[in-house]
Amino acid sequence: MKRRSVLTAGAIGTVGLALSACSGGSGGGSSADGEFDPGNRVTMIVPFSAGGGSDIAGRAIAAGLEEATGATITVENRVGGSGAVGYSGLVNAEGDGTMLLASETALITLPIVQDVDFTYESFTPIMKAGEDYNLVVVASDSPFQSITDVIEAAKTEQLNAAVSGATGPDHIAWSLIEQEQGITLERVTFESSSEVLAALMGGHVQVAASSPGELTGQLESGDIRALCALAPERYEYDLLADIPTGSEEGVEVTFAQWRGFIAPGGIDDAAKEYWIAKAKEYEQSDAYKEFIESNMLQPVTAYGDDFVEYLHQYAADVESVLGN
Amino acid sequence: MIDNLMLGLETAVSPENLLWCAIGVVLGTVIGMMPGLGSATGVAILLPVTLTMEPVTALIMLAGIYYGSQYGASTSSILISTPGDSSSVVLTLDGYQMARKGRAGAALAISAIASFIAAIISLIVMLAIAAPIASWALNFGPPETLAIILLGMATIVTFAGENMLRGIIMAAVGLLLSMIGIASGFTTARFTFGSVELLSGLEFVAVMIGIFALGEVLHQIQRGGEKPIRAGFRDLLLKKDEAKRIPGPALRGTFLGTALGVLPGAGATLASFMSYGLEGRVGRHRKELGTGAVEGVAAPEASNNAAANASFIPTLALGIPGSGTTAILLGAFVIFGLQPGPMLFEQQPDLVWGLLVSFFFGNLLLLVLNLPLAPVFAQVLRVPYSYLYPIIIVLSLVGAYAVGNSLFAVWVVFFAGVLGFFMKKYDFPAAPLVLGLVLGPMLERTLVQTSSMGHGNLLIVFERPLSAFFMVVAILAFVVPPLWTAIQGRRQKVQTQKASVDA
Repeated sequence: MKRRSVLTAGAIGTVGLALSACSGGSGGGSSADGEFDPGNRVTMIVPFSAGGGSDIAGRAIAAGLEEATGATITVENRVGGSGAVGYSGLVNAEGDGTMLLASETALITLPIVQDVDFTYESFTPIMKAGEDYNLVVVASDSPFQSITDVIEAAKTEQLNAAVSGATGPDHIAWSLIEQEQGITLERVTFESSSEVLAALMGGHVQVAASSPGELTGQLESGDIRALCALAPERYEYDLLADIPTGSEEGVEVTFAQWRGFIAPGGIDDAAKEYWIAKAKEYEQSDAYKEFIESNMLQPVTAYGDDFVEYLHQYAADVESVLGN
Repeated sequence: MIDNLMLGLETAVSPENLLWCAIGVVLGTVIGMMPGLGSATGVAILLPVTLTMEPVTALIMLAGIYYGSQYGASTSSILISTPGDSSSVVLTLDGYQMARKGRAGAALAISAIASFIAAIISLIVMLAIAAPIASWALNFGPPETLAIILLGMATIVTFAGENMLRGIIMAAVGLLLSMIGIASGFTTARFTFGSVELLSGLEFVAVMIGIFALGEVLHQIQRGGEKPIRAGFRDLLLKKDEAKRIPGPALRGTFLGTALGVLPGAGATLASFMSYGLEGRVGRHRKELGTGAVEGVAAPEASNNAAANASFIPTLALGIPGSGTTAILLGAFVIFGLQPGPMLFEQQPDLVWGLLVSFFFGNLLLLVLNLPLAPVFAQVLRVPYSYLYPIIIVLSLVGAYAVGNSLFAVWVVFFAGVLGFFMKKYDFPAAPLVLGLVLGPMLERTLVQTSSMGHGNLLIVFERPLSAFFMVVAILAFVVPPLWTAIQGRRQKVQTQKASVDA
């Protein structure tokens, strides 16, 4: 099925936008003393449909920022073009300090693989809220006991790896492993990580990689096994603590999907500083801690220019895999 | 099992849960009736509202919206040829024809009864063998799904009606339209002309609203002078011989719907098309299909309800959503701090069983609501069409806008509406186009996946027992009917020749 896009609180958000437009843009703006005040109507665009990973992250961050700012933050799912429609919406909001977007890897991959009119430099990155490393997993009855087994097998036979999306983080992770180990794996591309799981559990593919938050139920029940975490250090969560890192097994590849939020390009420095300050406040809250833990993320944050620096490096990595 | 049922009953009949279940199914019915506002959108809209409730109460209500909308969606298909959801497109064929003949009340009653039969049977299947069925369904990988989709394509034969060629042309147009957007498994964008909105393809719901709702309105306006349908009260009720024709197709529809609903990714729309196709082959009244046959309402309606219910099986038992709407529900689980997955039955038995048992009450309520309301809803048709169509147009455009929160979808509705108008005018059937549009992306995806799995060798579909079986059935479904017609034609010829020789 085509990705069903979703209204969510969007209708309310649209009405809200219309209202704030009518009232002559009273919502948001810098007052005379250079302080930025977003007013009471802030919109958080989520470029994917409700219920997915991006939506869950976007809503958690929006709720946390609401607490920090006291403003009402309306989450609006703008779906389409694998995220492109939502990001394009933010391009059109240039200079508007009351618009935010719950961002993730698509910010980097879309400009590389698709004909879109933005790159990460078109926006004002505010906060990288956390990192989400991939786990390499197999079905419980798989003969592979370690990532080394997989790599050895791939040298003599053609293995199938399920990936969610042709340019997803798992595809990039496998490509980095291929480059490093000199192997090739056939990709079988699915629409979502749950379809990847179904194919893995049904024995239709041999290996997959996905972020821990998507796998907890099946890891707990023992339907799948994790071979390694493509992370610099082991996870501390109980469920994941025994999983070796890739480098412990001789695979020097780490790759994370990140989550965070960005603002449109061309906003005032005051607005940028305001959101960075509020994001830092959010990082100290219990809400942030809960968001990180319930999604099994690594709480590695970066703000403003540091975030831009991170994106720069990230884009170079992705380019090396996806760019022709 | 009995212990679990009792546990579930205990949870489900608490006044609070019953109340929210009722609210859920009523909301679902209304949401289903709105064109474009399907169950997925409805659940997503109301998800944030439920965040303050107990998880089990919230899930009972959200699930109620899901299956309630399956009832509601058929109502607008039948009355105004405007499908509320993609899974009730098929109802615009015989259901709408029945309504045009003044049998709208009966058609609505048939759809409510068929839905109820399907819901209860699929619920029993769920209660009894959810876990084993879900594990078995995992055997269906891309090659098996590919074979089933090809089998689904074979139902074009039924939908094409009189003129096979036109049916095939429209199916091809549907497939072609489904090619718009990023190619499955690759990054190439096709036919998008640089448009960001087209990257993820034409929004299926918008095309559907355009072709069916707007196309029908334009068609009626052009013909003009359409008299409101005045049906006597007696005509609104179900006749005895009509009632007798419900169980057969409803049971077949339930079976197909349950089977397809369990498979990850197949779903209610395919099920409703296939069960209609099945009636075209085995139904006793297959010649009447398309002209307002009971079977053409009962079978697809039963199958889409059964599929909606059955999609909860992999969702609850494996943590793998069986449909777009259950995918959103899985998201709700996470938001409520529940871990969906195979452990859910063990860790949260009261929640799982309570949720399942609530389906029974929800569906019972839907039947009680929908049966007496059927004649009432049918009164809508007494309104002169010139008053009705502005409302239909507004609802359609609002629905289309709501789907993607964008004006682009509204343009898609306009263009599809004009296309739908000319299709009606020159007698090109719409259902094959929708079939092509729905199945196109799934066909492409599974074809690419199968090819990857076989390292370029597509013949692996014949090397796996399950997919080989379905491939053979699909091939037979394509080849046998035309062959059969040809043989019969020849036999008749021979007989007439014989007769003339004898004379």
